[in-house]
Formats: sequence, C-alpha cells, structure tokens
Amino acid sequence: MSTRRGVGLGAFTNRTQTTQSYATHGANLRSTHASSLQTQLSVFQSVLHSFALEHSSTIRSNPTFRAEFARMCNAIGVDPLAASNVKGKNGRRGLGEGGSFWTQIMGGDMNDFYFEVAVRVVELCRETRSENGGLIGVEECRRRVGKGRAIGSGLEVTEDDILRAVKSLEPLGSGFSIISVGSKQYIRSVPKELNTDQATVLEAIQVLGFVSVSMLQLNLNWERARAQTVVDDLLADGLVWLDAQSEENEYWSPQNLLDDSG
Amino acid sequence: MDTPSTATPFQFPPTYSFPPFFTPQPNNSTRLSQLQKWSSLIQSYCRHHCIYRISLIEAVESPLFHNAALRKRLGLSEARAVLDWMAKAEEEGGGGRRTEWIDGGSKTVAWVWWRRPEEWAEILADWVEITGQKNTVLTVYELIEGKGTASQEWHGMEQEVMFRSLNVLVKRGKAQVFGSEGQEGVKFF
Repeated sequence: MSTRRGVGLGAFTNRTQTTQSYATHGANLRSTHASSLQTQLSVFQSVLHSFALEHSSTIRSNPTFRAEFARMCNAIGVDPLAASNVKGKNGRRGLGEGGSFWTQIMGGDMNDFYFEVAVRVVELCRETRSENGGLIGVEECRRRVGKGRAIGSGLEVTEDDILRAVKSLEPLGSGFSIISVGSKQYIRSVPKELNTDQATVLEAIQVLGFVSVSMLQLNLNWERARAQTVVDDLLADGLVWLDAQSEENEYWSPQNLLDDSG
Repeated sequence: MDTPSTATPFQFPPTYSFPPFFTPQPNNSTRLSQLQKWSSLIQSYCRHHCIYRISLIEAVESPLFHNAALRKRLGLSEARAVLDWMAKAEEEGGGGRRTEWIDGGSKTVAWVWWRRPEEWAEILADWVEITGQKNTVLTVYELIEGKGTASQEWHGMEQEVMFRSLNVLVKRGKAQVFGSEGQEGVKFF
C-alpha cells in the first residue's frame, strides 16, 4: 500500500492540522474528566459537609466517634488538621480560600479542639518536665488532660486525639514528638534520643515497676558496667527516680506520679 | 507536735507510695520536683491535723516522714534539708518561706506556715469586716478559743502564731494590741 503521506508543502499543513485536532480532542477529554471529577468532588464535599454538620455535636462530644470520623477522613486523603493541601490540589481552589477543611465544615470548632488539646499537652509536659525528664506516657497524658485542672475543664479525649494534637505541633518545630518504648507510646518534650539500651531498660521498668543493676545483669546478660552506665544516664536525664533505701539501689519510673495533683 | 486529730484520716497523695520519694534524688531538676512535692505534702498534712509547729525528732517517727507500709522513711538530716529548703524564699531557690526554724541554728523545731502570718492577717481582717466587729475589743483568748470563732480555721491556733498575725495588722494600722501578758486584748480598725 502506498503511503497516504502527501508530498510537497501541503503535507506540512496537513500534519499541523492533525496535531491540532488531536490537541483539541485531548483538551476536550481532559476538561470533561476534570468537570466530572469536580462534580464528584463537590458532591462528596456536600455529603461530607452535611454528614459533619448533622453529627457535629457527636463529633465534638464523643471521642470514639471523633476518632472514627478522623480515620475516615484520613483514609480518603483528607488531613483533618493540615487540610490546606486539599484546596488547590489540581491548581484550582478546592475548598475556598483560607481556613482549613475543618474550619470550613464546622466553623473552626474542630481545629480549635485539637489546638486546645495541644495547648494542654504542652502545658502538662512543661509542668512535669522536672518530674519525669520530659518523657510522658500518652495514656497518662490523656488521663490528666481528661481530668483538667479546674472544675469542669476536663476534656474527654482519646489517645488518638492526643497523638493528633502532638502532630499539630510539628510545624512549630517545637521538638515535641511521639516515641514508642515497648508497647507504650510516650510524648517526648525534650529533644533527645534514647539509645537502644536505655529504651530496653525503660521497657523493663514498664513491665516490672522498677529495676536494679543486678536485675538487668541477670535478665539481659549485661556486664555490670553496662547496666550501671545505662541507669546512670537515665538518672542524669531525670527519666527515673532512685530509691536507695532497699537492699540494692532501685530505679523507678515517675510515670505513675502524674495522678498527683501537686 | 500536737496529737493528730482522729476525725478523718489524712489522705496521702500518690507520691507518698512512691518508694524513691524517700531518697534524695541525685538529679537536680528531679530533686527540685521532689522538694516541691514534699513541701506541699507537709503543708497539707499540717493543715489537716492543725499543726503549727513541727519538732523534727518526733516528726521523723510520725506517718508524715515514715511510711510504715513501704518501710521507707525520711531520715532526720534529710527531713531537715527539706524544711531548710522550704524556709528559703523563692528568690533564693527555696520553697517560699513555708517553714521557719524556731530554735535558730540547731534546727530541730520549726513553724510550718501552711498559712503565713500575713495570710492569717488577711483572713482575720476579712472576718472582722464580715462580722462587723470593727472598733470592738476582743481578747486574744476569745479570738482563739471563743465560741464565736469555733467554725473558723484558726480556732485553737497557737498563741504565738496569733500574735504574729495580729502584729502584721498592727503594723498596717489595722489593729491595736494592748494589755498585760496573758490578758491581751485586741481592737480592730
């Protein structure tokens, strides 16, 4: 078969035309896609909106429900806190300007809620820093925030809320972070890393309540010097308290002191 | 130390059941936190039992410094260190003058100011105001032991504490104390 490609100058015109019509067709397809996506998105938004409005009081008051809702938002790529990335993802305004997703939907209540939790977490961490060396269990933190300081100031929150609140502090570069020791999560308010040995000892204290150097030697097969160094380091960081009135020096975690109102 | 009242037992804070609480902590900031906890424990304990002065030698055997259940105790010198810290002003890195040694350098007996004399003075002045007793003369004995003050927090207070509190008011020109020893009267303005 002979080629349909023309010869002479006409061929160039033809080719430009073809490219052009391909381009227009492509643009058409894209805009249809985009508009259908936009419709989908706006439908989804309005549904989510009415859902959030309908259940706003429940979201605010019921920690479990709130956590589930937040998880759902997370699953579909909506970050409830830093939701600014939702708008303008495709170069156009998704959710209006200014204010995050939550502010749009619930009049700022939700963001305010997490910020309030975050403020309390920061307060608590600062207050107890000399007591626990800047390491506080998420669970203990939740209990304290839940109790509140003045009558009626308690906030019923879940660990999920606390974690979210700590995450909302990240942009501040404040050095608040979540670390896991064993099965337990802690909020670290002093920027310092735990080495493996220290984490191991803290984990042992979680289980046993306290440790002594000989317990560490026996259970972890450590040299005496190694065990002593680790507990001395923890002591220097204020992460454990010393009890010298037993047969052997015992090292206790101050985590359960938090219930103390003083 | 006075005999502790047996009406309601004192509710010790959770810290009291924390064994390291009874060992001076080697870490400075931990130590500070520990001293603060001791200070608030001592103050609330004394308030509960209406104790105004504390004698170290007796106190170290009392439940305050001796946790029999844990078999931990705060020894004499350590208890003295805590009271010493409490006696210092906050500006000097102490506990805000919440104690005061009565016997000076030997440091065996101390006032525990769960309310400082200035704070008592405020309370007395308020009470006088509310009950409309300005310009009336009261005896000091009446103030401490009288029926009229039975419901007040200072009822049964040690005389010396009362005099120190009244002196604060005298200095401010809000009261006048007169009469011979043992029969003092006071007039509030």
